[in-house]
Amino acid sequence: MSLRSNDRQWGSVAKFFHWTIALAILGNGIFGLLMDLAHSPMQKINWLALHKSIGLTVLALVLLRVLWRWGDGHPREEPAPRWQQLGARAVHGVMYVLIVALPLSGWWFNSVTGKPLQWFKLFNLPALVAKNDDMRGFSHAVHEYLFWLLILVLVAHVGAALKHHVFDNDNVLRRMLPFGRLRNGSTSTGDSP
Amino acid sequence: MKRLAILLFSLALPCAAAAADYTVRPELSRLGFTGTYQGAAFNGSFGQWTAAISYDPASLANSKFDVNVTLASAKTGDHDQDSALPGVDFFNVAKFPTAHFVTTGFHQDGAQVIADGQLTLHGVTRPLSLTVLFKSQGGAATLDVAGVLKRLDFGVGTGDYADTSVIGADVKVIAHLQLAPK
Repeated sequence: MSLRSNDRQWGSVAKFFHWTIALAILGNGIFGLLMDLAHSPMQKINWLALHKSIGLTVLALVLLRVLWRWGDGHPREEPAPRWQQLGARAVHGVMYVLIVALPLSGWWFNSVTGKPLQWFKLFNLPALVAKNDDMRGFSHAVHEYLFWLLILVLVAHVGAALKHHVFDNDNVLRRMLPFGRLRNGSTSTGDSP
Repeated sequence: MKRLAILLFSLALPCAAAAADYTVRPELSRLGFTGTYQGAAFNGSFGQWTAAISYDPASLANSKFDVNVTLASAKTGDHDQDSALPGVDFFNVAKFPTAHFVTTGFHQDGAQVIADGQLTLHGVTRPLSLTVLFKSQGGAATLDVAGVLKRLDFGVGTGDYADTSVIGADVKVIAHLQLAPK
């Protein structure tokens, strides 16, 4: 498996970005929703600090991923009706926007509350905007609803991937799976079988 | 010879006398602190405090600061901090409503005057030294002092909050006083 993507499958760097970001966003999103389970104020402080650190890591990974994707290219699209190809592109575009917007909205929310922003207790990042108590509830809602919106789009993304894998028997999912082996023949040249 | 002695003594008398007493002009004065939280500095100040200031740069031995601070008046502007500070984990104002600082002496460190004193905070009394910058203009004066204390020496922020990687160990105390002659 090469680092770079080729005509037939995603390279290991693209796969790494895809799955690391997927796991980090899902895990950190669920973690974020569970903040109120903290049994003491200090535990909540520490949980929030961890949530913010993971979120900032996601943001950095997403930016690196976009840069990589820009230079790396991507496998040829599998044959599918035009509307499905356009739909897939739209879903991918929306997901890229959301995975940038989600951590950024958290950074914005944190700035509005006037709290420090520290990455794993190592260094601090500046506020994006000035403290503003009136925006507290709104910015929190934006941050949380962006996650739910991402989940909604994710259902379409995962649903489509599984549909390709189970019903179409093509390589759409396999070419992104870690250590995934491609099915030979069927769609490797991009022609209809 | 006897006359000369009397003359010298009378000249020296003002120096040996008590240092000038001042009243603080509260509206122009500030008593505050700077801590660190999650790697970032935050500032707070006390709304209610009184200070009895006797000071004469030429008569440090007779100078004295005596300061009382109402701890419940601490404000940082952060909602969470302002609600936590009076609580049992920090100042515990229900049990220890005031902090008290009184000088025990002054000494010179090069050109810098240092006020040595005892701070009683959260029921604990420990030494605290403050740098002193005093400027008199006519009868009035300004006094700037600053010092650093370790919050855990005074048991401020214990239990979970003792984690100094989240809430810094050092707290800087700063005061700017505008003084009017008594």
